[in-house]
Amino acid sequence: MDLAPFVKTGLISEALNLWLAVPIGFLFGFGLYHAGFTDSRKIAGAFYLKDVGVPVVMFSAIAAGTLGLWGFGLAGFLDLSKVYFLPTYLVPMAVGGLLFGVGMAVGGFCPGTAVASVATGRLDAVVFIVGFFGGSLLFGDLFPVWGDFYRSDFLPNARLDQVFGTGLGVNVLIVVVAAVAGSLLMRLGQRHFWTTPKDESLAPEQVLKYEVPYVTAAIVLALAAAFVPTRAFVKGPVPEPYYIVERSAAGAAQRSIAPTAVTLGGGRSGAVPTPPAKHREGC
Amino acid sequence: MDLRRRWPPVLAGLLIGLSMLLAWVVAGRGIGASGALTAIVATLQHWIFPTLTERSAYFAPYFAGGANPLNDYLVYLLIGVLLGAFAGAASCRDLSFEVQRGPRATTLGRLAGALAGGVLTGFAARLARGCTSGEGLVGAAQLSVGAWVFLLCIFAGGFGAAYFVRKQWI
Repeated sequence: MDLAPFVKTGLISEALNLWLAVPIGFLFGFGLYHAGFTDSRKIAGAFYLKDVGVPVVMFSAIAAGTLGLWGFGLAGFLDLSKVYFLPTYLVPMAVGGLLFGVGMAVGGFCPGTAVASVATGRLDAVVFIVGFFGGSLLFGDLFPVWGDFYRSDFLPNARLDQVFGTGLGVNVLIVVVAAVAGSLLMRLGQRHFWTTPKDESLAPEQVLKYEVPYVTAAIVLALAAAFVPTRAFVKGPVPEPYYIVERSAAGAAQRSIAPTAVTLGGGRSGAVPTPPAKHREGC
Repeated sequence: MDLRRRWPPVLAGLLIGLSMLLAWVVAGRGIGASGALTAIVATLQHWIFPTLTERSAYFAPYFAGGANPLNDYLVYLLIGVLLGAFAGAASCRDLSFEVQRGPRATTLGRLAGALAGGVLTGFAARLARGCTSGEGLVGAAQLSVGAWVFLLCIFAGGFGAAYFVRKQWI
């Protein structure tokens, strides 16, 4: 039980972990290319609803990741308390997101897609990366100017199920349904505003062939996560945060998970929520 | 699956989701791109202005105790991303040195836009503690409130700004 994360359970060494990042990155880069993310026109096209492939890819990746993460946690394979969890600083993240969105509409890339695009030889991506370097330096070198804002508005109980007070499984279902509905909505928008979609992979027959089985599987899994009493799947006594919380127990679990900001549950020590001091594990 | 053609979006998304899952299972952390880029530029600045960089409130932890920020998980991941995207483009015969621009955009205008967009996202990614991959996708899959706010704000900012840069793209 709890074999993963491999490097944190001591199954593999730190050095091997670093090298294994290369094939994982390879899959990521290969996926980014096949998603069409190396083309700035396609990314920017999403903001005109001209080509909604980009949000559809993002929604599918989120749905797959959510199901996998909580599924592995539920099965007792992945120790969620050892997984890095993104802390929430609400207002800085909202302002950062707005600026980031403007930057994406102007520049046509985000960092990961620009890196992938550089590998395909695109020169606008190279210029974008140079700009990104400049923007990072600007933030870092003038950090005293916005440091206080950067550290403000830390939210300790920042998981959707904790905020909404629903069970984790219900929230997994909500995220999957939102991803599917968001994709459909984006496509309707594209069909409404642009009569001739450029991307043939979004044609109805392609959608039926590739998407219906996957979307069905995702929804079935998410329904299972939300409505099957999952406690029965886990053998022996298991600490609360390891499995998908029952709806009736959501309130209690919420309090027990509450103090942790850096991990996905786990620690019930330390009653005072404090922001993580320095997290070099983030993106 | 035909490797010579781009995949349908849902399959490409599934592959990206799979790489996220593998990173969680192997390393206990998410994928990301902006962190590695910041580590690279911090190292560049450290070569030119070592004392200034080590005294910087933001970059000092990168070099604490003589650490090398390039010996970092995300940097190795970035190497993989470069290789993966190169392999994808090579298998589709899509490698070319060109400036991608909209039908009404000039090359110079497009490059200026790319530079400005890069500066904005570079700043914003550090302010928000991540970018679309590490924060938007990974955080959203972890059901992080901050990530969902970030993601929704990206779309708000993008749709809001789209009208003003429409000559770049459509």
